[in-house]
Amino acid sequence: MATQVAIRPTLAQQILQQQAQAQRAFAVKVIISWVALLAFLLFMFSSVTIQIGPIAIRTIQLDRAFIDKYWRYISEGAIETLRICFLSIFCASILALLAALGRLSRIAPIYALSTFYVSLIRGTPLLLQIFFFFLALPQMGIVLSGFIAGVVALSLNYGAYMSEIFRAGMQSVGKGQREAALALGLTQSQTMRRIVLPQALRVVIPPVGNEFIAMLKDSSLVAMTGFVREIMWRARDVGQSNFRGLEALLVAALWYWVMTLIFSAIQSRLETRLARGDR
Amino acid sequence: MPIIRVTDLHKYFGPLHVLRGISLSVERGEVVCIIGRSGSGKSTLLRCINFLEQPTHGRIEVDELAVNVERHRLTPEQKLVTRHIRMRTGMVFQEFNLFPHLSVIDNLIEAPVTVKGMKKADAIPLAEKYLAKVGLMHKRDEYPARLSGGQKQRVAIARALTMQPEVMMFDEPTSALDPELIGEVLDVMKGLAHEGTTMLVVTHEMGFASEVCDRVIYMDDGQIVEEGPPKLIFTSPADPRTRQFLDRLLRTEASEK
Repeated sequence: MATQVAIRPTLAQQILQQQAQAQRAFAVKVIISWVALLAFLLFMFSSVTIQIGPIAIRTIQLDRAFIDKYWRYISEGAIETLRICFLSIFCASILALLAALGRLSRIAPIYALSTFYVSLIRGTPLLLQIFFFFLALPQMGIVLSGFIAGVVALSLNYGAYMSEIFRAGMQSVGKGQREAALALGLTQSQTMRRIVLPQALRVVIPPVGNEFIAMLKDSSLVAMTGFVREIMWRARDVGQSNFRGLEALLVAALWYWVMTLIFSAIQSRLETRLARGDR
Repeated sequence: MPIIRVTDLHKYFGPLHVLRGISLSVERGEVVCIIGRSGSGKSTLLRCINFLEQPTHGRIEVDELAVNVERHRLTPEQKLVTRHIRMRTGMVFQEFNLFPHLSVIDNLIEAPVTVKGMKKADAIPLAEKYLAKVGLMHKRDEYPARLSGGQKQRVAIARALTMQPEVMMFDEPTSALDPELIGEVLDVMKGLAHEGTTMLVVTHEMGFASEVCDRVIYMDDGQIVEEGPPKLIFTSPADPRTRQFLDRLLRTEASEK
């Protein structure tokens, strides 16, 4: 009897240890593979030619002098990209919230406005929307800068897609929560503001983080209207005038990747923190 | 003057006639228990009194605030009256419904601050008084997720009390609890009853009903079948339906033991 009691925890410990070991081994293998893939990627741009028998493998040749010269200029566009994205995700969240409230409304015209907006935006390409605000509004006497037109288009576009996220967030708050608040004497709008929305926002923040990361890259489309000095515009600017388009785009690509990595890390941290709050 | 008076209350859910002409009154300081099978309309009755469900037809009076409903949507004035009715009736739900994003103390002061416009500095001592009454001062700054079911329900009771309602309504407050946690909630409710709190309790806890209640109401099929002091109802019910209900209950309770 006594030995049985003694054996059980050690068995459990052994299993746990094995599992932890397996996880660690897996993580190490993943890191090694990542490094290898990264090395291969760098090798692709090393301008080396390898001769294996009759086959010559040529890698891509880059103009280092050009990169050194314009690296800073292109990189500074990251600030503009982030400005566009932070402003747009903020406006998009407000639009998404309103659209979600509209979608949950029982007042027909409000419901219609919400669904019409979402349908129209989801039914047309983002690039087209960006051009629309740049080209069409001047005919109504509203002249928007490329920056504002881009932010308006990105906000409207992402607002429509994110309205589903906000709707799901609000619906995740149980009926009992609303009833408890109403039973205490809170008004409908107090219930929404003080009880439903704070809980919905917790659910909504991680997926909005994902949208932000997607937006970082979609913001490059704003460059198409010209005169928004973000990363992509700068890359095309110096790339085209120096006939070094590839080098310029690679610098831009590196920045998009780095920004994505940084914000993904922030987002996953946020996600675990919010999840912990629930326990 | 009764604190609650319900007159000829009807409630339809679509074609379903859930409440069929309920009339009842609760006096100040009285503890009234409503018993009956599930689906008999007990919970709906409570939820009609504070307008979580809108009655289809009938008259609700709480503390001299009256709303007459005759198959119409509530007018803005009536909606205002219902909100004042809610402020004077505390409601305790089966599923607790604590606000998970707020700490225990913030759950308690939310309504006094938001609804009554109380200052936080005034609301906090009041909330602490009721938290002490349910024996959970030491959980003041915890979040609901870290409480047991019984503790959650006691916090929910304290939350309702912090609004200082004229009457407390309990909607099967122990039905979602593990058996070993029921006692602590019933003890709190007994304490309230002894202090003279006016209570309207929907419950399956016959022990509580017979020990604490001044009056027991037996409901069946959306109607009040009979009512009276617990001694009378539990020992010699007049209506065969009541007798049948109590018999079956006794038998299942016996078989569980």
